[in-house]
Amino acid sequence: MTITTHAAPDSRPMSATGSTNAARDSLILGGRAIREAIRTPDSLFPTILIPLFFLVVNVGQAARIFPADGTSFLQGQNYGAFQLPASLLLSASFGGAALYLVEEIEGGYFDKLRATPISRMALVLGRLYAEFVKTMVVGTVMVVLALLFGIRVESGFLGFLVLVVMVSLWAMVFSGFMQLIAVKTRSAAATQGASMVFFPLLFLTPNFVPRDQLTRPMEVAATINPVTYVMEGARSLILDGFDGPSLVKAFAVVAVAMAAMLALSIKMVNSYD
Amino acid sequence: MSAISAVGLRKTYVGGDGEVDAVRGVDLDVAEGEVFGFLGPNGAGKSTTVRMLTTLMTMTGGSAFVAGVDIAADPHGARRKIGVALQEAGLDPRQTGREILTLQARLFGMSSTEASERAQELLVLVELLDAADRRVKGYSGGMKRRLDLASALVHRPEVLFLDEPTTGLDPASRLTVWDEVRRINRLGTTVFLTTQYLEEADQLCNRLAIIDGGRIVRERTPASLKQDLRDRAGLSTDPTLDDVFLDATGRTRDKVAGEVKEI
Repeated sequence: MTITTHAAPDSRPMSATGSTNAARDSLILGGRAIREAIRTPDSLFPTILIPLFFLVVNVGQAARIFPADGTSFLQGQNYGAFQLPASLLLSASFGGAALYLVEEIEGGYFDKLRATPISRMALVLGRLYAEFVKTMVVGTVMVVLALLFGIRVESGFLGFLVLVVMVSLWAMVFSGFMQLIAVKTRSAAATQGASMVFFPLLFLTPNFVPRDQLTRPMEVAATINPVTYVMEGARSLILDGFDGPSLVKAFAVVAVAMAAMLALSIKMVNSYD
Repeated sequence: MSAISAVGLRKTYVGGDGEVDAVRGVDLDVAEGEVFGFLGPNGAGKSTTVRMLTTLMTMTGGSAFVAGVDIAADPHGARRKIGVALQEAGLDPRQTGREILTLQARLFGMSSTEASERAQELLVLVELLDAADRRVKGYSGGMKRRLDLASALVHRPEVLFLDEPTTGLDPASRLTVWDEVRRINRLGTTVFLTTQYLEEADQLCNRLAIIDGGRIVRERTPASLKQDLRDRAGLSTDPTLDDVFLDATGRTRDKVAGEVKEI
């Protein structure tokens, strides 16, 4: 077998010009990250088990206070239906992609990827695409488990899909911000620590009762917290059906946060030395 | 045309202790087809220079062309023409050797079929076919280094940068890497090699430069560097490259033993 390492121009890889395609590169890198997730199932278990644990505990503590037949905001469902969006958003807020990224930075593989002629956007989007797919799977498992325990998705199968897509997009946003910290600090400890900064946002929301039943300070905090609108959008799909204004607000928050995260990420990767 | 040409290359870091000049105006001219050695003690600026030339780090000043491409103006274009194997064998431990090479080929724009064929070709080249479908975390240091080398070659680069390719390897693995470097170079690829092993530079390099304190302090063929020292010092026998290195960097053998030979 003859192997050449020095190429004449006409023997270059035939589709080399296409490698600037961010979508193609992201899918290639995303595929690798999905393979990585399949090979490390232990990293996926907490993203299902911890949110389910909180769902069971919270419902166990508050279900008698909020009975299905006497609580108007439950729309006839049990309290688990009200809590499910919080658990879904919790499962989307582990940011595992960022920790793998730190490992890659420390091990030198990130530099190997940076030395290839791929779009800088793909370096960010590859793992986020995998995060989207993982959360689609995890979210589906969680909702199916909830259905087995009598919770209904009022908006039907289409609503179920919208719900899982919304949560998965949020997982991309959250992981994206965590990746930003990973790229900035290049430290697993700092990245893990930073998740503690974002985590409280998940609880400054109408987590246990609707926003209008919160105390005034909590209501103000929840109103300025963007996570609230994602939670309310997800909740509307479970309890109310398709509620246009809630869904528009939820997807608007996801879109704005996604745009901000991507802009900052590209800037960060481009200036990475 | 030069394979690598740099003029006044500079890199200044701003850290907690103020500005640090890691590279202070390096000029380089590496001819096509050369194996060029870049030597220096720890912290001399070797890796920083390589990282700038491979577009992994921005330049504070100066200009550089690699394979005819201005790396500051067209880093993307330069990346298509260079192969990089850095100090740490940058590999994903959860993938197999074959998967890593296929992925790398895909990132250089090849189709799935082309990428698979190229991966197979390279696995044969670096003699990793038997381990191709095992995950990299189970590879020995030498196997990882050979796989890293193969992944730097997927797109048939015109210039190959090897940053301390044998650091940490046992003598047998080191000899294997040397053979690979010679073979790659014979096929026409220019090799820019940094190393802390002077014997390695002596064995492999047509020409070499010694950098110290961010500046190039010697640059010639190994033989002429030795001859120069012999003439200047009035030695009766040929000095070794170690002697040249010590003379160029103003270090003593005791100090260098700790700084340069550590693994």
